[in-house]
Amino acid sequence: MISLFYENLKISLVAVFANKTKSLLTALGIIIGVLSVTLMGTLISGLDRSFESSMSWLGKDVLYVSRYEWFSDMEWWEVKNRPRMRSEYVDKIKNLSKYALAVSPVMQRTASLSYADKETRTEIFGTNEEYMETISTDLDLGRFFSLSEDRNGSRVTIIGYGLKEAFFGSDNPIGKYIKIDNIKFRVIGVLEKQGKFLGLFSVDNQAILPLGAYNRIFSKRGWMRLSVKVPEQKIEDGHDEITGIMRQIRGLKPSEKSDFAINKTKAFEAQYNKLKLAIGGTGYFITLLSLIVGGIGIMNIMFVTVKERTREIGVRKAIGATNGMILSQFLMEAVTICFFAGLIGLLLAYIISLFINQVFPSTLPLGLSLFSIFISMLVGILSGIIPAYKASKLDPIDALRYE
Amino acid sequence: MKLIGLKDIYKIYNVGGEEVRALDGVDLKINNNEYMAIMGPSGSGKSTMMNMIGCLDSPSSGLYEFEGEKVHIMDDGQLASIRNRKIGFVFQTFNLLPKASALHNVEIPLVYANIKKEKRLKMASDALISVGLEDRMHHRPNELSGGQRQRVAIARALVNNPSIILADEPTGNLDSKSGHEIMKIFDELHRNGNTIILVTHEDDIAKYSNRIVRLLDGKIVKDEIVVKN
Ligand SMILES: Nc1ncnc2c1ncn2[C@@H]1O[C@H](COP(=O)(O)OP(=O)(O)O)[C@@H](O)[C@H]1O
Ligand SMILES: [Mg+2]
Repeated sequence: MISLFYENLKISLVAVFANKTKSLLTALGIIIGVLSVTLMGTLISGLDRSFESSMSWLGKDVLYVSRYEWFSDMEWWEVKNRPRMRSEYVDKIKNLSKYALAVSPVMQRTASLSYADKETRTEIFGTNEEYMETISTDLDLGRFFSLSEDRNGSRVTIIGYGLKEAFFGSDNPIGKYIKIDNIKFRVIGVLEKQGKFLGLFSVDNQAILPLGAYNRIFSKRGWMRLSVKVPEQKIEDGHDEITGIMRQIRGLKPSEKSDFAINKTKAFEAQYNKLKLAIGGTGYFITLLSLIVGGIGIMNIMFVTVKERTREIGVRKAIGATNGMILSQFLMEAVTICFFAGLIGLLLAYIISLFINQVFPSTLPLGLSLFSIFISMLVGILSGIIPAYKASKLDPIDALRYE
Repeated sequence: MKLIGLKDIYKIYNVGGEEVRALDGVDLKINNNEYMAIMGPSGSGKSTMMNMIGCLDSPSSGLYEFEGEKVHIMDDGQLASIRNRKIGFVFQTFNLLPKASALHNVEIPLVYANIKKEKRLKMASDALISVGLEDRMHHRPNELSGGQRQRVAIARALVNNPSIILADEPTGNLDSKSGHEIMKIFDELHRNGNTIILVTHEDDIAKYSNRIVRLLDGKIVKDEIVVKN
């Protein structure tokens, strides 16, 4: 049986490589199929990775209280008519909640920042001293501001890693003064490098100020959200509790609807899964389509091959090949074409994935690669079985007489 | 010792509603180490009989025994196995695989017999040496003359040490010189104890044999011993 296997493999390789162009054209569908499934996998692996790191930045254990619900289809005026979040809520929540570990008000706007002759526009955040607990990023240098610095309206700031590099290069920025909208702030800390959020925009250029200073300089206008950190296992309980507390703060009757929203990173996950499903669905659809088209092409070419080699089949039967041996020979040929097609597809996918990786960190998943080769060979079996069966059932005399 | 027994063999084709009796009640016994020629006009059923004896074809009715085994009740797999182990075919048109070397062509029956690579190569090259092709082993069929191709085919037929060698007009596509060279090989195989049946319509080819069976319209009309002088 081993001898027969090698013999069949040899016949297949000779047949496939004797007619490279024909084999390649035949196999195009399979190549495209493997290419699309593996590139889709690469894309999703990259998305997963950047999503994972972005999510860790948001924090799975943080409730985001604000006027609008993430990914909802609420009208903007409806959101606008809801009352704003206020910094007084922070202490009320702290007093009433048993789950809240840290509560931070966060205000955000863009401002122009400068140091010496360098200038940039970026996001600035006004928050309180507990902010660091609600994000999962650490400080690279220096320290965060204190409660009294916040109360005093001290003009201190913690800057993102990118901003530090842009303004100070490799110099130590601690104690230096930068200007935010032309007002001097002393740099007291630098956040560690975080990368891009969802691969889209960098969060490394931000500057964080105490809310006290922020409010005095940039007025109290602009909208605020509250970040409430709770124990990760208690996120649902925390959600219910904070909802109750917010309703109490707002003085809502049981019959009234909540005029605020409490968001969790889960909402991102749901949204992300939808996106993944869409990419995956499209990828699988293209793959399935090309595999079917490719499979039909291979079946066709195998029928032609069997016809062309009818006499050979007759000879082989005359010298003792059984039906099964003939079947395995042609099946092997179909599988060999598909195997090489799969390999070519995979190679192309690998090359393309290197390019993708340049813009978007991602890798070709190994499991999916092996799986796609397996699927290619399966297509070979499925599309080769009928022609091979036909070959095996040829009458030896008729086959020998065939011109 | 009896090798083959055909009893009341019919092969009937239906062509356009009309019955064609390719074999019409054939009885025949062939003993070991016989050297038999089948003669007869075109369409008399010679090839049909050869294919029947070679287990490539099965009779419409009748009994066929090969070395005491009932061939007429065998399935495809058993027939393939008999062809592989017991029968060596030589065709008029050689029927070699064009992309394979002489050596590989001769090796193929051994692959189907599941014989190991080294043993296979040894057996195949011995067979090629025995037909005088020791310096042509790695040539492809299109690099060989007609006579040489037929010798490759003979090597392929005898590589498995079959009980019988069947040759259907083996000299039909050869010039008379190559034809007689081929016949000398058959002569030698016969001297070494092989059983040979060949189909021919040339008298001077049939003369090599010891026994001539003449067919006409699917019937044996004459079965005679050749007296050599
Ligand atoms: N597959 C077939 N279908 C119909 N008739 C056939 C078939 N094979 C052979 N015959 C007929 O059987 C007869 C014997 O054929 P064959 O054995 O090839 O003759 P020979 O070899 O003596 O020339 C012929 O009349 C031929 O036409
Ligand atoms: Mg004939």
